Amino acid sequence: MKKRLYSIAFMFVLTFVFAAVVSAVKGYNEERIQTNQQVKLQRIILKVLGVPLDEKAPNQEVVQAFQKRVKPIEVKKRTLYVAYAEDGRRITGYALPVGGSGFWGPVYGMVSVDPEASKILGLAFYKHSETPGLGARITEPWFVKQFAGLPLFPMEGDKKIFYLKPAGPGKGANELDAVTGATGTSRAVEAFLNRDLDRFLRETWKSVKKG
Amino acid sequence: MPKPLSSTQIFLGGLWNDNPVLRQILGICSTLAVTNLLVNTLVMNAGLIFTVCMSSLTVSILRNYTPMKIRMMTQTLIIASYVIMVDIAISAYLPDISEALGPYVGLIITNCIVMGRCEAYAKNNGPWPAFLDGLAMSLGYAAVLLVIAIIREPLGFGTLLGYRIMPEGFTPWTIMIMAPGAFFTLGLFAWFVRAKFPQTAEEKK
Repeated sequence: MKKRLYSIAFMFVLTFVFAAVVSAVKGYNEERIQTNQQVKLQRIILKVLGVPLDEKAPNQEVVQAFQKRVKPIEVKKRTLYVAYAEDGRRITGYALPVGGSGFWGPVYGMVSVDPEASKILGLAFYKHSETPGLGARITEPWFVKQFAGLPLFPMEGDKKIFYLKPAGPGKGANELDAVTGATGTSRAVEAFLNRDLDRFLRETWKSVKKG
Repeated sequence: MPKPLSSTQIFLGGLWNDNPVLRQILGICSTLAVTNLLVNTLVMNAGLIFTVCMSSLTVSILRNYTPMKIRMMTQTLIIASYVIMVDIAISAYLPDISEALGPYVGLIITNCIVMGRCEAYAKNNGPWPAFLDGLAMSLGYAAVLLVIAIIREPLGFGTLLGYRIMPEGFTPWTIMIMAPGAFFTLGLFAWFVRAKFPQTAEEKK
């Protein structure tokens, strides 16, 4: 009995000590980790909005550029990032967060549209857990660049703005190349991007136009 | 009680005679996963060296107070704490690499080398030899990873530490970036070492 009590007490004290140390380390670095994540998001937003910025620019430069050119607004409880031209008055585009279930886990991305919301300017994914070399190729330039200039006109019926089709010639304007070998990821991306863009056009954009 | 090993013997064991990756085939998961870029490998190595040394040291210091029945639980707790600290440090100071390594930093906890050394050595030896043993074993692991990364990165990307070293017209071998490339490299490397420098009776056959 005494032995057992000792074991319990030993484990309790040890757990307490280590939990305290780990919490202290975490607390000490928390702010830094938060900043890192924030800057990373700002980089992505600037990138999809086409604001020129060196890919290896230091954090401070990113924060400055972001503050100067982008203003986050809340529309119907959704965040929208408004990009302004150098003069700080003319709107050059809007960026909206998109995301949904991928093949293995959640996928997060950012889409930008032109000031009239008539076409897509850019797209980038910044967090996912898709298979490297297969589903993870959705982050590669050839894939995301296809979306630039895509007209934002939902089709009659299924309301889809674009379709991902197996790579090949002879395709319509709203038919883009899927990732070969990653049908699951491609279908998922097609589903949540269409859903989020459609929702943006129907809900968020209407409020923005009204002012 | 066998005679305690000298520091030289400990180091020779970790780096060569009982090399965890080549001889014991431990820690293969991370060996395969993080060796396609040398910079990722270096960070992973640093994380593992820290974890193994500190875990061995702590387990050894507590060895006379730890009840035998709950020693595994204690070791897991100690290892997990150090791994979380490594994970926090990397995500705070090296966010890009943290991204590239993904779950593999957290998975150091399941690396057999860490608990293997605690269980096989640290729990029966004094703190200083335990620390040295941890250092030797993790350096042995690190050395193998470095060799594999130095083979994989140039062939897979044409670069080393991000600098282009292959000639202009070189076509990267995509397979070297992916898991099969790691299997081939590690397999050939382990085979070469074991065939050329046999240690056990089985290897000598």
